[in-house]
Amino acid sequence: MTDFTGLTSVLGAWYDFRDLNNLQRLITEWIADWGPDWLASIITGVLGALGVLGVIGPTLLILIWVERKVIARFQQRYGPNRVGPRGLLQPVADAVKLILKEQLAPRAADKLIFFLPPVLIFVPGILIWGVLPFGPRMSVADLNVGVLFLLAVSGTAVLVIFMAGWSSNNKYALFGAMRAVAMSISYEVPMVLALLTLVVFSGTMSVNGIVEWQQQEDVIFILLFPLSAIAFFFAASAELNRTPADISEAESEIVAGYHTEYSGMRFGLFYAVELGNTLVVSGFIATFFLGGWWLWGLDQWVPSWIILLIKTGAVYFLLIWTRGTLPRLRVDQLMGFCWKALVPATLLFVVVAFVQRTLLISEGWDTTIALPIMAVFNIALTLGAIMLFARVSRPAPLRRPARIRMAGAQIGGLRAAREVASRTEEPQFQVGGD
Amino acid sequence: MSDFGFHLAFWSLAAMTLGGASMIMISRNLIHAVIWLVMSMLGIAGLYLTLSADFIAVVQVLIYVGAISVLMLFAIMLTPRAERDNSQTKASAPAALVVILVMISTLWVAVDTDWGAVREAALTEQARLIGESLIKHYILPFEIGAVLLTAALVGAIALARQDDEDAAVHAASLQAELEGEESIDPVDVVDPPIVSDTEATS
Amino acid sequence: MTIGLEHYLALGAILFCIGFFIALSKKNAVGVLIGVELMLNAVNLTLVAFSRFGSAEVALSTQVFVVFIIAVAAAEVAVGLALALVVYRNRQTISVDRTTLLKG
Repeated sequence: MTDFTGLTSVLGAWYDFRDLNNLQRLITEWIADWGPDWLASIITGVLGALGVLGVIGPTLLILIWVERKVIARFQQRYGPNRVGPRGLLQPVADAVKLILKEQLAPRAADKLIFFLPPVLIFVPGILIWGVLPFGPRMSVADLNVGVLFLLAVSGTAVLVIFMAGWSSNNKYALFGAMRAVAMSISYEVPMVLALLTLVVFSGTMSVNGIVEWQQQEDVIFILLFPLSAIAFFFAASAELNRTPADISEAESEIVAGYHTEYSGMRFGLFYAVELGNTLVVSGFIATFFLGGWWLWGLDQWVPSWIILLIKTGAVYFLLIWTRGTLPRLRVDQLMGFCWKALVPATLLFVVVAFVQRTLLISEGWDTTIALPIMAVFNIALTLGAIMLFARVSRPAPLRRPARIRMAGAQIGGLRAAREVASRTEEPQFQVGGD
Repeated sequence: MSDFGFHLAFWSLAAMTLGGASMIMISRNLIHAVIWLVMSMLGIAGLYLTLSADFIAVVQVLIYVGAISVLMLFAIMLTPRAERDNSQTKASAPAALVVILVMISTLWVAVDTDWGAVREAALTEQARLIGESLIKHYILPFEIGAVLLTAALVGAIALARQDDEDAAVHAASLQAELEGEESIDPVDVVDPPIVSDTEATS
Repeated sequence: MTIGLEHYLALGAILFCIGFFIALSKKNAVGVLIGVELMLNAVNLTLVAFSRFGSAEVALSTQVFVVFIIAVAAAEVAVGLALALVVYRNRQTISVDRTTLLKG
């Protein structure tokens, strides 16, 4: 158990970068000396937004390079290596190219709604950073309904995507938008249920409260509820339109989905927000399931935001890994996986969390003994659920024919092979075999 | 409640809410109407914040902006373009008369009545309080609400679900309708039903 | 001038009437649903205003009431839109003017 209140009161100076909140508090107090209350809240709000923009803007430029490089390594390529040392200036060159490109709009587009989405998509993209805690008291807004806020804000992005796809008046854009909407609505359910387990178990809806609970109990949630973590990870990567689940902008099927008709920097804005959302979702996965800014006492010696950034980077790497490794799923596979696998599994864990919480609170079990037992039980349950899913959902084993048979001349492919295999008499001819 | 920031927030949010609602009345396009509805809902969520009801505000955004408006857009997309106008019926003139009478009377009641003592302190920890009262004091309405939601879920699926025969008839009629027209709008062509896993593998 | 209960009540009344007018006058079934949603929201706004400014004993119960109204509104929209789809499927229109089977 670490105590922060004493620490920050001793080192509460603005230059103490372990807690950037000191800076904000200083500004607030300074304004309160001469200005009205509302000015202080407006100025700190603007500063918070500018701070978020100032941090994620340059970070995005680096992340584009990192993502392309890492994916290239997964696919045994070099990745960008022409502009600047090791290709480091490639994102800058891309940005310049996008800004200089002509902005096109389809003649049949719905003009007002077509121009709004690249701007509006930024609103949830920025707002969502507000509740991410970088330290004990280091978030722009530590709401006591933070988890709900996170879900509500990420839900509004769906509407913007729909606006983009619909107003383009292009069938591919509309297909992409409809897919995106259907998918986000579906994957919101396991996401909510996965977070509900944490909320039920820790008894708070504040994001920082969840981190503090993990710190208090000396445990991270991925050990207690591994299936929720997996479900949240997959649901988040589906909401982010990243490759195992990027059916809404599948290049090989529907051009580029909802942003097909957006050119130049308008496309660039969509792309930037998508990367920024990936980063912030990695941050939230790290916060909810990996303990956030807390790491078994190390946070006393290292600034808490560095710990969070390292964890975020690790989750981000995992997201790139899945993107680089897994092929794209089909629409119906993705929806079926959500409704038939993730929703029942997360529901099961909500019930488990209810029972275990009741055991802890009402029955008064000792947390130091009960929590490891519960962790072991939940991990076993998770493994069982995954194995059950693998057993149920695997394709029927192919019956291996005694001899290798090839198709007849008229019909080809798998159907022919099946037909040939189902015949009782000997096939007309055979290739290979004996 | 009297400082400048609060006034600014209230009047701008009220303008946003009423402006969005009025634009629903005016706009001819149903999709635009839904987007104006979203703007109005966001304004109301902001007004909840000025009333320091943060839980309700977040729930408002989550359900109205994230779910209900998207559901409406989906329903609009499932009907062809010709049905996407937002024009008014012939009954709008008498409706306007009725509405103006209702507005005058409600405004009269709202402004003229003495509503009694005005409390200065707001509730804190609303999410916890609402949750506790839902499972203690209001447990029966809560259960009924759960049953209602389940019934609505089942009912909506049962209503919107097409049998295979119905789907075939509908597709045939749609095809006949489309063949009569000069150009086929690609957006309005109904997608073929997705083959489910079991059918695909068998 | 301070902003008090009356402002919110007046705002709610105007919003309710706009929603009422939309629900009465729109041809499209989805348009009618939008009007109904606006009316429900106006009522919610009024209730939350009472929760903030009214007496202390109603502060919580009004908010719980609002939660119930939101839940019922969600159910109503889902069923209403499903009904609109069914009407469209059978009559090829969702205009409330032209669904007149019961009109003798």
